[in-house]
Amino acid sequence: MRKLLCVVLVLGLITGVAWADSIKIPVASPFTGQLASFGEGVKNGAALKASEINAAGGVNGKTVKIVLEDELCDPKEAATVATKLANDPAVVVVVGHLCSSATLAALPIYREAKLPAISPASTNVDIGKMSPYYFRNVYRDDFQGAFLARYVDEVKGFKRIAIFYEVNDYSMGLMSAFMKEAIKRGITILGTEAYTSDTTDFKPQLTKFKMMRPDAIFNPGYAPQGTLIATQAASLGLKVSMFGADGLDDDLMVKNPDAEGLFVTTPFLPDKAGPQAAKFIESYKRVYGKDPNWFAANTYDAVGMAAEAIKAVGMDREKIQAYLAGINSLDKAYVGVAGKTYFDENGDCLKAAFIKEIKNGKWVSSQQQLQ
Amino acid sequence: MISKISPRWKLAAIFVFALVLPWLPLGSSTNYFLRVINTAILYMILALGLNIVPGFTGLLDLGYVGFYGIGAYTAGLLTIHYNLSFWMILPLAALNGAMWGILLGAPTLRLTGDYFAIVTFGFSELVVLVIRNELWLTRGPMGLPGIAPPVIFGHPLKLEWEFYYLVLLLLMLVMLVASRLEDSRLGRAWFAIREDEIAAQCCGINLIRYKIIAFAISASIGAMGGAFFARWFKFIHPDMFKFWESILILCLIVFGGMGSITGTMLGALILIPLAEILRAVLPQGMFNARYLIYGLILVLMMRWRPAGIIPFDRAQESKAARMRQRLTALGSKE
Amino acid sequence: MAGRHAHLRGLARAIHEISGLSRGLSVENLLDISSLFLQQLVNGITLGGVYALIAVGYTMVYGVIQLINFAHGEIYMLGAFLAYTQVTLLRLPFFVAFLTTLLICAVFGVILDYVAYRPLRTAPRLAALITAIGMSIFLQNLALLLWGSQIKSYPRDILPRLFFKPALTMGEVSLSWLQVFILSITVIFMLILHLIIHKTKVGMAMRAVSQDKVTSALMGIGVNRVISFTFAIGSAMGGMAGILVGLYYNAIFPTMGYIAGVKAFAAAVLGGIGSVPGAMLGGGVLGIAEVLGAGYLSSAYRDGISYAVMILVIIFKPSGLIGQILGEKV
Repeated sequence: MRKLLCVVLVLGLITGVAWADSIKIPVASPFTGQLASFGEGVKNGAALKASEINAAGGVNGKTVKIVLEDELCDPKEAATVATKLANDPAVVVVVGHLCSSATLAALPIYREAKLPAISPASTNVDIGKMSPYYFRNVYRDDFQGAFLARYVDEVKGFKRIAIFYEVNDYSMGLMSAFMKEAIKRGITILGTEAYTSDTTDFKPQLTKFKMMRPDAIFNPGYAPQGTLIATQAASLGLKVSMFGADGLDDDLMVKNPDAEGLFVTTPFLPDKAGPQAAKFIESYKRVYGKDPNWFAANTYDAVGMAAEAIKAVGMDREKIQAYLAGINSLDKAYVGVAGKTYFDENGDCLKAAFIKEIKNGKWVSSQQQLQ
Repeated sequence: MISKISPRWKLAAIFVFALVLPWLPLGSSTNYFLRVINTAILYMILALGLNIVPGFTGLLDLGYVGFYGIGAYTAGLLTIHYNLSFWMILPLAALNGAMWGILLGAPTLRLTGDYFAIVTFGFSELVVLVIRNELWLTRGPMGLPGIAPPVIFGHPLKLEWEFYYLVLLLLMLVMLVASRLEDSRLGRAWFAIREDEIAAQCCGINLIRYKIIAFAISASIGAMGGAFFARWFKFIHPDMFKFWESILILCLIVFGGMGSITGTMLGALILIPLAEILRAVLPQGMFNARYLIYGLILVLMMRWRPAGIIPFDRAQESKAARMRQRLTALGSKE
Repeated sequence: MAGRHAHLRGLARAIHEISGLSRGLSVENLLDISSLFLQQLVNGITLGGVYALIAVGYTMVYGVIQLINFAHGEIYMLGAFLAYTQVTLLRLPFFVAFLTTLLICAVFGVILDYVAYRPLRTAPRLAALITAIGMSIFLQNLALLLWGSQIKSYPRDILPRLFFKPALTMGEVSLSWLQVFILSITVIFMLILHLIIHKTKVGMAMRAVSQDKVTSALMGIGVNRVISFTFAIGSAMGGMAGILVGLYYNAIFPTMGYIAGVKAFAAAVLGGIGSVPGAMLGGGVLGIAEVLGAGYLSSAYRDGISYAVMILVIIFKPSGLIGQILGEKV
């Protein structure tokens, strides 16, 4: 009994602390675990935007404070984190989550608490319809997959493609969108093979691909496995092009000499971003010593939108939701470093996609882009 | 001082406290606090279910989370496709869990303990694989979103305190079942098996039959826990039913005291909120490795307090002591 | 909604089959099919060799103290990390790191037994099993704390160049020197082990202890010393398997021991637990079954193949392939 009371007290203390003269904007994403390197971009982008806002006088005279919430990309953790945030009256808007399964677990909780959230990176198709309180400033997988199929057909001219996907929502959503468009365009899908996130031996599947003699292999997965796949393909003597989506857009890939020539879709390219991004790229490089990736850019924008909303309507969840839902046409769009963002009735948005590739061990923008 | 109060009053006090818990003045964090408590109660139910196998019959079951997952997906799918009420789903999930328990138990329970442990482990991994890959049934890694919450008297449950009373009710139900079982003929047979299989067999106990009954009951409680979980979380995903969950639940009963009902529940009540405290106290990278503590608990408890923090059931012990007194009294008369 | 992906997958398969048929059964096609099979066989045998190396540790410990040492998978993982750390951080030459890792893992196995299992020798089986699980979880998370959860890879230029060159290329089938290295190490160490068990005094003691601890003790055998020796050998083999796998897939991460450990245990059971040649055979069969299963049946159910094999063997033939007939209990 006494122990229970202690627990009560400790929990109360932990959650009850409020920041009096600052505005808390929680950023929920994996910061540790296998996908930690994605979280790094998120962290940096958010911190950079907050420091810029604060340097310019803050929001309504208060400073913005970013609170990082690590949910390890795990749906259960995400639900607990979401409950914590939903019940904190000092939280009026959340920036997050990153993985689609984590997002889906957190959604019902945000909806119940009428807490608006902006995801910088969750691309799964199903999310939009599920809650009016959820927004995202990133394109959806069905757009990305179809875009990639279009690029492969029109620019690369591949005719025979094998798909190597991870058994997860992101990878499979992308695969189905890609296949739909590719088949429409007369591209032959030679076969699809699966792997799980804890796989390290990809040789049986790659051997199968080798015998299919594809023009290219599509890997709609994440970088930790992507780099292993590239290495093992090379060791099997499988010398075909490989391409992927924004999940492979990570420095892990660049470090691998076998990934040379890989190309991926990305929502943000430093040299293709408009003039409004120049300052962001420059200060990001100064602070973190490297080019910002799309996680950083999108999070930077999402934090910007959250601050903008608070500035316009104050610390009120319902009003912020209404404000964000009101950004529904191009002329009302939020102009960020990763393009203009405005939401449709599901809280989804249309954003441009770009292609970048690895050349001489560096990410560079591909010469040919699709409009 | 506390020990002087009679157990009946203690029980009553705990009960009253449990009833008024959601209304304690916790201010803004009430909901978060209650969610943690709800999780703890859910794990108390799960721990009580698992306890029946290693605690009562002495067999290590590493696949418990498989039944939990079966229950959750049974409930989720029945809710989404047929919109059945929670009270219909609960027995159906339990039945489905028990069925799989019997299917798995019948051929494997005649094996030695370690083989049984590893087979149950393989089973739970297979369950997760099937959930993950049979998209037509489970939507696989897309998870099952949009599961409706239970409806009680025409009112769909929404807030944490509403779920609190529901899960508390379930806990009391399971507690009742577990404690009645413990004192029943069945329970005595299980204890006999746990203490000495050969002796039990010689006393005419059909080992396989009693073990299968234990396994099936344990599985159905796990599945019921899963059913509640699905309707409470409103989203289920194959990643939620990984092997780690089995370890966590095992850790709860080892910590609290294997075979002891109060100990098992206390284990859950202490260790589950502990994880939340660790989340706040530890830096992120270390929180990630919090299972280190659970592993350590398993090792240390086995080494120094194999009976758990509550060394077996006091009640049982005192019952045994009384019996011994009576026997010695009888002996002295002769 | 639920059927969408399944439907598309079916579509892809149909298209694949049609395109395969349209090419007809030409000579080229037949060659393709046979070289695919051969290459998969090579992949499977390499994987099987690794499983066999890990399985030996399980099987020896089980033979001597009848305990599933769940932490054995973690020793395998530690082996991979230790070699990686020595090569990348301390800049030791690979073969030096290889030997020191074997040594550290052997010592570690002895300590593990001394700290965790020995005090429970007379306790109920359940207690020892739970301790083994706890140790496994503990070590895995310790590695997570020490090395982080991200996959570690050897930088290419740090390893012997030869490893990545093909040793043998036959048409589409290729065998790298690394694969040759792994296979020959496996075979050599298995032979050494076999000799130790059957031709040395300590091997004879091991066999005696596995039959009857009390009687062995009465015959003047230091039972605990023999058990320690068993742990040392088994752990060294496990650590070696870790190094080899870390090299082969170039991926080292804290949870690598958990799946490999279970599969190796499945291999040990398949071969007949307690028997060293059985572990070898079980590893080989399981490795090939897994790769062929992934290659020809379903790559999504790949891990399930080992679990299913394990469950079926345990239910229908708990003595394994050559459990009690050929192999002697270690």
